[in-house]
Amino acid sequence: MSIGKIRLKNPVMVASGTFGFGEEYEDFFNLNELGAIIPKGISLKPMIGNPPPRIIETEGGMINSIGLQNPGLEKFITEKYPYLKKIKTHLFINFFGNTEKEYVELARRLNDLPGISGLEMNISCPNVKKGGVVFGTNPKMTFRLVQKVRKVTSLHLMVKLSPNVTDIGMIARSAADGGADSVSLINTFKAIAINIHTRKSEIGNIIGGLSGPAIKPIALRMVWEVRQAIKIPIIGIGGIRKAEDAVEFILAGASAIQIGTANLINPGTAIEVIEGIRAYLLQHQIPSIQNCIGLFKT
Amino acid sequence: MAYQIDGIVVKNRNIQSSYYLLELKCPPIANKARPGQFVMVKPSSQNYPLLRRPFSLSKFYPLNHPDKSKRGQFSILYKKVGLGTEMMSHLKEGQKINLIGPLGNGYSLPPLPSSSTIILIGGGIGIASLLSLKEVLKDHIMFAFIGGKTKEDILYEQEFRKGKNTTLYIATEDGSYGEKGTVVKLFVSRMSQFSSDKDLYVYSCGPSGMLKSLAKKLIRKRWFVQVSLESRMACGIGACWGCVVKTIDSNNPYQRVCKEGPIFDLKEVDWENL
Repeated sequence: MSIGKIRLKNPVMVASGTFGFGEEYEDFFNLNELGAIIPKGISLKPMIGNPPPRIIETEGGMINSIGLQNPGLEKFITEKYPYLKKIKTHLFINFFGNTEKEYVELARRLNDLPGISGLEMNISCPNVKKGGVVFGTNPKMTFRLVQKVRKVTSLHLMVKLSPNVTDIGMIARSAADGGADSVSLINTFKAIAINIHTRKSEIGNIIGGLSGPAIKPIALRMVWEVRQAIKIPIIGIGGIRKAEDAVEFILAGASAIQIGTANLINPGTAIEVIEGIRAYLLQHQIPSIQNCIGLFKT
Repeated sequence: MAYQIDGIVVKNRNIQSSYYLLELKCPPIANKARPGQFVMVKPSSQNYPLLRRPFSLSKFYPLNHPDKSKRGQFSILYKKVGLGTEMMSHLKEGQKINLIGPLGNGYSLPPLPSSSTIILIGGGIGIASLLSLKEVLKDHIMFAFIGGKTKEDILYEQEFRKGKNTTLYIATEDGSYGEKGTVVKLFVSRMSQFSSDKDLYVYSCGPSGMLKSLAKKLIRKRWFVQVSLESRMACGIGACWGCVVKTIDSNNPYQRVCKEGPIFDLKEVDWENL
């Protein structure tokens, strides 16, 4: 199966921000089995992240506001990248900036790193002014930014979309028109949890992003809407924790999926999903998962 | 090295008020554990509660432990406070529960052999991680200070009293047992006897308010002081960066309780912002 020109051994990727830099998971399964790895998002300069508390559990989900804490491009290249590039699977580097210039500069420099299959451009983090959500909620700005980044990289360009918009199909179309090779959706939903005793937010930064099984039905609806808006591949994300969830996303129109929050709870989720998809294909006598994309009957 | 593995419940019992002791058979974790490390427990196989819960290893018995009957086991001490611990309190002998561990850095131990003096300061359920530390350091001269709100919160007094080199002090905030006041106040009242001791190793675990007041008293001293911090956690394995605390490292202020911790040197922590 493939997305664009990239052939994947299976459609299961691990989502940025939920898989560290890969090494955190090496004790739990063979990372070579993954369809692709997307490590924690990288900015040009290091970012210290948001003040704690950064997470709170809610019913069927969790709210986080990590604030894109990361070591910055230089340290990423010297300290994290050598490990990642040894893993025998596709590596997509998630990146974000504060300005168009920063996005372009990062894409240009990442383009020169050997052993990378693609870039995932984050225009959707709800937790920092950087992180691109300013770009990702405005169709014109999405188009302009994707177009500029497209010019400096020949790598597969995946654009990660925010669900915090009125019409996600419109944003997806802007990304596709700008030259994206694929779109990944969704990032987290802006959310709040209030402690009724202190009357303060449970999150240091007040607002955070909701993820986990609770958001799956909305994410699925958005993938289906985007499927009708664009032709390029979709990577489905949102509350996937078992193979059945993944198959739903693929039927709705996703070519591949990413596991996010479930990695944090059960580090081996991705492997279980990969095996479960195989079992589903056998059960229904379908030769490849590729044959299932968009088979949702309406 | 950490394992994701099922542990088998050997015993799960209410020890006093809302405190429980869960004894588990899980040789890989028991064999690798060090004092101050923790495990992530999944109380439900379903989505609610969703996240795992971190618990300090209170005792563990590696495969070379003298007590053959306990080899490959470890225990966690927990207080029933929410849905997760409520579910755990219903676990029965022979049931399985999914674990990830051992995790975190663990306490730094003094060089051995030595004439070091060990001071343990524990508040409430915070004594859990000090139990295994006491076991490892039992040949040293030791002063243990344990405290809680009331008598109900004084756990494992007999364990802390054990050993010919050990002196135990107890405090309760309401005065229902031991000296009246906080455990930090009690420790401070006895602190002068340690002031000249160079080979002094202080280890503390308890609620953040208690550790903060301890830090105020000790931050200017040149003593070796380590504290075990708590934080809300999602993964426990260093991947999500959700459990950070602020440290005085200006380049990298937010450090992970699950990875760089849970044990920190007292002087590393930015106590003003804890």
